[in-house]
Amino acid sequence: MSSHKAARVARVLSGALRVWGVSASVDRDPDRPDGCVLRTQSGVRMHIVPATPHGWLVFRDARGLETHAGLPGLLRSLRQELAPEAAAGRLIIGSQSLL
Amino acid sequence: MSPLPVSVVTGFLGSGKTTLLSRLLRDPALARTAVIVNEFGEVGLDHLLLEASDEEIVLLEGGCLCCQVRGDLVRTAGSLLERRARGAAAFDRIVIETTGLADPAPILHALMTDREIADALRLESVIATVDCAAGDATLDAHPQSVKQAALADRIVLTKADLADPAASGLGERLRRINPSAPQLAARHGAVDASRLFDGSPYDRPVENHESHAESGVTSFCLRRSEPLHAVTLSLFLQVLAEHCGAKLLRLKGLVGVVETPGRPAVIHGVQHVFHPPAWLEAWPDDDRTTRIVVISQGLDAGWLQDLLEVLDDEVKACSIS
Repeated sequence: MSSHKAARVARVLSGALRVWGVSASVDRDPDRPDGCVLRTQSGVRMHIVPATPHGWLVFRDARGLETHAGLPGLLRSLRQELAPEAAAGRLIIGSQSLL
Repeated sequence: MSPLPVSVVTGFLGSGKTTLLSRLLRDPALARTAVIVNEFGEVGLDHLLLEASDEEIVLLEGGCLCCQVRGDLVRTAGSLLERRARGAAAFDRIVIETTGLADPAPILHALMTDREIADALRLESVIATVDCAAGDATLDAHPQSVKQAALADRIVLTKADLADPAASGLGERLRRINPSAPQLAARHGAVDASRLFDGSPYDRPVENHESHAESGVTSFCLRRSEPLHAVTLSLFLQVLAEHCGAKLLRLKGLVGVVETPGRPAVIHGVQHVFHPPAWLEAWPDDDRTTRIVVISQGLDAGWLQDLLEVLDDEVKACSIS
């Protein structure tokens, strides 16, 4: 993953944390240019790096390794852990035609 | 049988919904209109102010429409449709007037999704009334009024005979809240009905516009020159609904899709509830750019643009081609 894409992923994670109301920072990982480090004010620290051929690996100090097949799963997992009280919606597609 | 158009008239207390509706119902073009009204409190004042002509008027008793919407509205609309089907009522359109305190979103959700009525109806327009004389103060004091304006397809500036919305800046303020909703001025309740009920709002192209923030509402247009994979679009909407449902007030877009070249998808949602995407036969103009207009409570355009790009990168990485 290019550094440009890694920076974009860091921005996506950072934006999601803002939406959930979590005080945290997401920075490029100095040891893994394609990954990032998430640090919350409560002391949680995770390294998030892209998996091959796709998906995400999450390393955390206390819990070891987690894998996610894609960004939606990664975001869900982060919200459940870091912002369990944040509202979780579900996409509903109605039956009424648009046109 | 083709679905009946249904419109929702919303607007804060005293903003002139009933006056507007009373005038509109005198228009011969709206003669065959069934009206569903409800009142907040013990006295059905709105109902008393409505002039009954050839319209079917149904009063929902016992409280705010948005709170009881799943039951009362669905039951009332269903009853109207049933009476129409057996020839006991003649109407070609339904208009729902909400109470001034109503959040229109649950009403729209019910119209879009309820199995008993959604297939028989077609959401035509959401009309918000804003009082030219007191509108600024109302927007300042009542977040619900901001949401009503943000969810509208059209905004009617009522009592324009009392105050000029251009001079006061109210028109411009509402444009920042909801740039894609045309504004119509009503003097003594009079406004051109054909401009309020002129077909589906989704017939109109989604326009580009600049980002705005006003009264806690942000509106912006995401753009993308390359078409999206259909899976990307689906994942994007799922992520939005899951994480931002209540903050996402309205989303509508014209999307170039890889799998349907030359046939853009029209998408439209209110919070976490969306219509099924529809595919146009062709782009409506020479602009082939994907345009997704988002009206939200505090969502950031850059974040959503990045989210869209990361999701599409992931889908491309998984694609077999």
